[in-house]
Amino acid sequence: MPRRFLLLIGLMVALIWGDVASAGVEQMVWSGLVMANNVAQPDKIPPELNRIEGTLKSWFGYNQFKVIGQSRKTLVTGSEDWLASSKYFSLLVDAKGETETGYRLNLKLFQEKSVLLETEARLSKASPLVIKGPQVGDGQLLLVLVIQ
Amino acid sequence: MKTFEEKWTAWIDGELSGAELAEFEAALPDRAAAEAEKGNAHKLGAFLKENMPARAMGNEEFFHHQLRQGIAADARTAAPEESAAARPAFWPIGRLVWVGATSLAIFCVCAFFVMREKAPTDQSQYLTQILNARVDPALGPNATISMFELKEDKVTVLWTEGLQSLPSEYATK
Repeated sequence: MPRRFLLLIGLMVALIWGDVASAGVEQMVWSGLVMANNVAQPDKIPPELNRIEGTLKSWFGYNQFKVIGQSRKTLVTGSEDWLASSKYFSLLVDAKGETETGYRLNLKLFQEKSVLLETEARLSKASPLVIKGPQVGDGQLLLVLVIQ
Repeated sequence: MKTFEEKWTAWIDGELSGAELAEFEAALPDRAAAEAEKGNAHKLGAFLKENMPARAMGNEEFFHHQLRQGIAADARTAAPEESAAARPAFWPIGRLVWVGATSLAIFCVCAFFVMREKAPTDQSQYLTQILNARVDPALGPNATISMFELKEDKVTVLWTEGLQSLPSEYATK
């Protein structure tokens, strides 16, 4: 009988431990430099942008979105930094720690070696961030950050 | 209280005596027929004793061994049933109370840790928030910045206007 009791307690502890462990699960942030433009036959939207396809099309008025630079970073401590870059642009992301709903990030968009845009944001797990960059040719540079 | 059949058997075997014998014999409807039947029974008994003696067992030890094993097996199967019957069908109340109290305590600890991570109360807290933003004045002297939180789409947009346009070669990967 005491063995059965111990087994029950052990099971409960395992369940609680599993719950606590899953609460601290690692998150991956996708950061992309996206070139938006209008073409006769648009390519399929990249899978990372699927969930915001409607928003991108309605807000920016373009029908094609191509990724020209990207980075996937798995956040363990919430204080990592990383770079997503194309030939002329770089997006430096510096995570400043975890918040209740996501991460606090410092973002710097470099145009070659110059900082074109700098911002600080609280990126939520449930809500992607889209930044409208400069006009490039007949298209538009967009910066997108999504927690996956 | 003996039945008539029991008294009859006892009377034939000569085991009735005294008042019981007198009472039984008085109750017999046909005493002569009863005496004749008693005599026949005694004759049959004597005949069987003479002509059908008990057969001697050739394998007596084996038979005893089988019997002893059967008795032992019966004892073994009876013992667990007795011990199971003696044991309570479920945990005693005291133990149930302890288990319940322990479970409740563990649940409270768990709930405390879960609740400590405060759930956002406002829906806007689920949206990404822009805390501040600035454009390099050298690259975009007339640039303006706006922020939009699209609650329906759950998307936050940082909208810049007036940035210097760039040639299409900047779209290169």
